[in-house]
Amino acid sequence: MALAVEINQLSKEFATPFRRKKILAVKGVSLSIAEGEIYGLIGPNGSGKSTTMKALLGLLAPSEGTCQIFGKDSVKVDSRNDVGYVPENPYFYKHLTGEETLRFYGKLCGLSGRKLKERISELLSLVSLEHARKQKVGTYSKGMLQRIGLAQALIHEPRLLILDEPTAGVDPVGSREIRDLILSLKEVGKTVFLCSHLLEQVQEICDRVGIIFNGVLKREGTLDELITMKERLELVATGSPDAQRKLLELAEEMEGIELVSSGAPKTSLESLFIQMSQEEK
Amino acid sequence: MIASVKRILVIASHTFTQLVRMKVFGFLAVFALILIGINFFELPTGNSPASAAEEELRMLKSSAMGAMSLFAIIFAIAATGLLLPRDVEDRTLYTILCKPVPRLDYLAGKYLGVLWTVLLALLLMDILLVIALQLRTAEILGERMAIAEHLKWTPEEVGAEKDAVLSQGATWSVQAGIFAIFLKSMVIAGVALLISTFSTSTLFTIIMGFLVYFIGHFAGEARDFWLSQQLETSVLAKYGSHLISVVFPDFRLYNVIDGAIAGNVISGSIMWQLVGISGIYAAVYLILSWFAFAKKEF
Repeated sequence: MALAVEINQLSKEFATPFRRKKILAVKGVSLSIAEGEIYGLIGPNGSGKSTTMKALLGLLAPSEGTCQIFGKDSVKVDSRNDVGYVPENPYFYKHLTGEETLRFYGKLCGLSGRKLKERISELLSLVSLEHARKQKVGTYSKGMLQRIGLAQALIHEPRLLILDEPTAGVDPVGSREIRDLILSLKEVGKTVFLCSHLLEQVQEICDRVGIIFNGVLKREGTLDELITMKERLELVATGSPDAQRKLLELAEEMEGIELVSSGAPKTSLESLFIQMSQEEK
Repeated sequence: MIASVKRILVIASHTFTQLVRMKVFGFLAVFALILIGINFFELPTGNSPASAAEEELRMLKSSAMGAMSLFAIIFAIAATGLLLPRDVEDRTLYTILCKPVPRLDYLAGKYLGVLWTVLLALLLMDILLVIALQLRTAEILGERMAIAEHLKWTPEEVGAEKDAVLSQGATWSVQAGIFAIFLKSMVIAGVALLISTFSTSTLFTIIMGFLVYFIGHFAGEARDFWLSQQLETSVLAKYGSHLISVVFPDFRLYNVIDGAIAGNVISGSIMWQLVGISGIYAAVYLILSWFAFAKKEF
């Protein structure tokens, strides 16, 4: 499969004020993302996630190494024809309405006339902001800003989407909507590269994950590869309390098996919250 | 190339909308009030009635064109200095530069947007000034003709008086003077654009912009000093004058504005020269801004 992103031995150095010392924000990061894949880069604050993304977008020049988007060097402007980007906590021109914002970005990408008009309506519908198309962006909530951010990133139908903390500051319902939107983009063949520190969300939507600490990519792989505890076995059984007790006793008696824990499986707090809010509606 | 021009125009028209929605044209109301005020209050001149009439028109032009110049310069520096850092601060710049938008197109669009706004504001003020000048000139001419009739002036004397009054009215030289104000603000906006590409704050850009503006008024003198200096000149004066005359734009060139206020005729050749020099200044500052901005990291 063709590669959407290819980062090869990327390092980025920043000079401190008065250039006395240099800080190495990213150290020899190499990763690749296949077309149609959702890749999540996770790590704590200041680990080099955003620096990696900015280098990929040409906002920062690599100190060493290369970044390519669909085979094009990301330093070159034409590599941006195939990318849509949503920064962390995006802000747009407050004096423009949602529709005007999309028109502005569409025109920047060379769209015009009926095609642009149709694309704006299509995207406003996709991100559920039709009701706010004439509303000034300055009055949008955080969730709405993220969604208009996604719409502007998609205006020129890019093959790759780069999302920096796409659900930062968004409530669980809004966050779930954005998650669903990202999954629907995968269904239409888009490649998504996102960074987040919301691990549960990354786990839910990403095909592959990279874990970065102090500018170094520590681990990388598919979710199964990363989170499967091969030395443990989890059974989820349903049945009468008697049958459950017998199963436990059987497990305890079995040679070579140590029962670590047992009990009723739990849902996540996020799932519970979503379920309750849907019931309230 | 065509795509680039289209993109520049998109950014320019957006910048224009942004500035208009920031209600910068509120200044026009102040300008209109200045014009109305000048018409209501008769300013003491201490001259003979004939020259007092011309002086009144000169005062009207001087106050109005002074206000226009003040608005254009403040606006050119402040708006240019404000737009770029704000885009960086709000991260809207990221979303623009992540589209297939070359950095030169972004800078040129912002610059052009500021210039459009200045031009339109000057045009509106110009219309107000022309109306005020026409009305006042007609009024003064009527008064002077009544006096001429009363004193039984010869047709030659009447003609000379008419020419003297009309030369202080809404002439093409006044239009040339107003266009020179635009050219001057175009140059200073270019300077502000260059400063804003490496400055980290709007305030710094604005202060530096005004500093360059004031120093620029002495750039001509510095160049003359450089060309005429003797061997015994101090090292500081020598290199100081070199620096000023090379780095800073020579705003002495725009003294044609004062000529227009005084009622002097401004020839087409002078204006063409001014357009050419201003264009070179603007192009140089835009290219330097591009060099600084192309390497900038966000």
